[in-house]
Amino acid sequence: MKKISVFILFVLLVGLFLTGCGGKQEAIDGRKIKLEFFQNKQEAVETYDYLIAKFEKENPDIDIEQNFVPESETVLRSRLAKNDIPEVMGLGGNAIYGELAKAGILASFSDDPKLKEVQESYIRMLQDLHGRVNNYGIPYTSNANTVLYNKDKFKELGLEIPKTWNEFIATAEKIKSAGETPFYLTFKDAWTAMIPWNSLAANLQGEDFIKQRIVGQTTFKERYDEVAKRLYSLLDYDHNDNFGMGYNQGNTAFAKGKAVMYLQGVWAIGSIEQANPDIKIGAFALPAVNNVSENKLVSGVDTVLTMSAKLDGKEAEAAKKFIHFLLEKENAQYYIDQERTFSTVKGVYQNNPMVDDLKPYFESGKIAAFPDHYYPSGMQVPNLVQEFLLNGDVGAFLDKLDNEWDKVYSRQ
Amino acid sequence: MAIPALVLFFAFHTLPALTGLFYSFTNWRGYGTWEFVGLKNYINLFKDARALDSYLFTFKFAIVATILVNVISLAIAIGLNAKIKFKTTLRAIYFIPNILSVLIVGYIFNYIFTFFLPDIAQVLGINALTKSILGNPDLAWVGVVILAVWQACGFNTLLYLSGLQTIDDTLYEAGSIDGANKWQQFKAITFPLIAPFFTINMVLAMKSFLMVFDHVVALTGGGPGRSTESISLLIYNGGFAGGEFAYQTANAVIYFIVILVISVFQMKVLQKREVEV
Repeated sequence: MKKISVFILFVLLVGLFLTGCGGKQEAIDGRKIKLEFFQNKQEAVETYDYLIAKFEKENPDIDIEQNFVPESETVLRSRLAKNDIPEVMGLGGNAIYGELAKAGILASFSDDPKLKEVQESYIRMLQDLHGRVNNYGIPYTSNANTVLYNKDKFKELGLEIPKTWNEFIATAEKIKSAGETPFYLTFKDAWTAMIPWNSLAANLQGEDFIKQRIVGQTTFKERYDEVAKRLYSLLDYDHNDNFGMGYNQGNTAFAKGKAVMYLQGVWAIGSIEQANPDIKIGAFALPAVNNVSENKLVSGVDTVLTMSAKLDGKEAEAAKKFIHFLLEKENAQYYIDQERTFSTVKGVYQNNPMVDDLKPYFESGKIAAFPDHYYPSGMQVPNLVQEFLLNGDVGAFLDKLDNEWDKVYSRQ
Repeated sequence: MAIPALVLFFAFHTLPALTGLFYSFTNWRGYGTWEFVGLKNYINLFKDARALDSYLFTFKFAIVATILVNVISLAIAIGLNAKIKFKTTLRAIYFIPNILSVLIVGYIFNYIFTFFLPDIAQVLGINALTKSILGNPDLAWVGVVILAVWQACGFNTLLYLSGLQTIDDTLYEAGSIDGANKWQQFKAITFPLIAPFFTINMVLAMKSFLMVFDHVVALTGGGPGRSTESISLLIYNGGFAGGEFAYQTANAVIYFIVILVISVFQMKVLQKREVEV
C-alpha cells in the first residue's frame, strides 16, 4: 500500500514537472515562432488584435498571442517572481518600467534604428526613469493629462478656455454662481487626485526636483507648498460627495452633464462617450501658473514597447520585427486613430477635433513629464494625497511625503 | 500512508513558508538580483508608521467584528433552534450570505453605502449620513465591519446550532420545573454547555477577521487615505504593487507570529473557562 502511494506521488510530481517545462520547448522546436505580447491597456485590445492579424499575414511563421489582464502591473510583478517573463511587452512609461529596466529584465534597445524615428523628448523621459543613457524600450504612444470640459455648457454659460490659474479659478467661480457644478471630483479612487496633482506639480515643482530630492538637496516641504494649496483649493468647486464617488461614477456623471469640467486625462474620453454618445467634449491643459507662455501640458509615455532580455536568436529577431511593425507610420496612425492617444513617431499626428486645443503644446514642445512617475512606487503617493485632501493640513502632508520618501529609500 | 502526506505537506506548505522566511532577510524586489540585508527589514518595520496604523485598524476591526458576529450568531442560532415554522428553510436562508463571494457582495454594499443610504438620509434629514460613509476616514471602517459581520454570521450560526443540538431537552424541563425563566436557563444551561463551541467560534472569527482582505478591497481599497488598510492589504499593496517584496515578507512573518500568539492565548483563556464550568 505504501509503495503504491509513493509511486503515485512520484508520477504526479514528475507529471507536474514535465508540464511545467513543456510550453517553452515547443516554441523553440516548432516551425512557428510563438510569442506572447503582454500589454496593459484594456481599451486597446481590439486595436492590437487588428494589428496582430495584419502582422501575422505578412509573417506567417510568427504567431503573436496578445495577453491583457486587469491589474497588469501587479500580475507582471508576480510573474517575474516566478521568473516567467513575457516575450514582448507593451507597458506604461512609469516608475515600474524604470524598476524593471534597472533590474535587467528588459532587453537593450540602444542601437535600435527605430529610435531615430521617434520624438526625442519621450526617449529622454524613459531614460530618466531608469537613470542611464541606455534604452530598454521604444516609446510608442503618449497621452495627455488634461481638464475635460463640456463644450455645450461652456457655450451656454459664455465661457472660454482659461489660460492662467487665476482665469481657471474665475471660470470655476462663474460656473458655481450659475448654479452648476464646476468639477466632478472622484477621490474615492485615490489615483484620480493625481490628475490635477500632476499638472500642478509639473509646472510648479521647479527644475530638476527629483534629481535634487534623491541627493537630498531639496525637499517636498520646500517645493510643493503651492502645489498642495492649489490642489486643495479645487475642493471649493466640487459636488457634495467627493470621496464617495470613483472614476467610473465620475465618467458617467460627467457624461450626463452633472458637471461642466472634469479633471481627467484624454484616456477617459472613450468611456464618457460610451455613457453618452451625444456629448461634445473638449480638452485643455490645466493652467497651473499665471504666466501663459510658461504653462506646460503634462504628457507621458502611454505605451512603451519592449521585450524580455532572455530572448535570443530567432525569437529575439521575431520580437523585434513585431515591435518595428507596430512603429511603422501607417500602423502607428491606425493605433492612435482608434485610441485617441498621441503618437511618438515623428510625422504621425492625432487629427481628432476633440483634442485640437492640445495641439499647440505638442507642436511647440511645451510638454512636461508626469511627476508621479518618478516617485518610488513604495511611497504610494495617491493615498497620501487622498488623506491630505480629507484633512487639509498642508504642513503635515509635506512632512509626510518627505518622511515616506526617506523611508522607502532607506529600505532599498 | 503518512509519508506521502508528509511529503505533500512539506512541499506545498512548509517549503514555501521557509522560502518566505528566507527572503525576509534579503532585499529581493520579487525579481532581479538580491543580497542579504540581515535584520534590516524587521528593524525598518518597527519604524514604519504605516505598518503600525494598519495593525491598529486591523485589531480595532477584528475585535469589534468578532464580538458582533458571536453575539448575533448566538442569538440567531437560539432563534433557529426554537420550535418555529419553516426552521430548515430559515436556516438555509441565514447561511446564504456565507456562500456568496465577498467581492460581489462588496460591490452591492458599495452601491448601498454610496447611493442608497445617502438618499434615504437626505429624505429623513440626517445630515451626517448624506455623504457616503466609505468616503469618510472616521466611518469607513464601520462599513467594512457591517459587510464582514453580515457575511460571517451564517457560518458561526451554523456552528452554534450544532452546539445547541447537543443539549439534552430534559435539562430545560428540569430547569422550568425549578422555576427558571428564559434568561436564567440561557445563563445556567445553554451557555455553559456550548462553551467549547463558543471557544472555537471566537478563535475562528478572530483569526479570519485579522486576515481581512477582500472585504476591504471590495469596499474601499484601503482608503480613504490609509484609514482602512488592513495588514493583509498592506502586505499585498507594498509587496506586489509597491515592489517591496522582501520587506513585506518580513511583515508577513511578524504577522503570522502575532496571529499564532493571539489564537493560542484565546484558546488557553477560553478553554480554562470551559473547565471551570
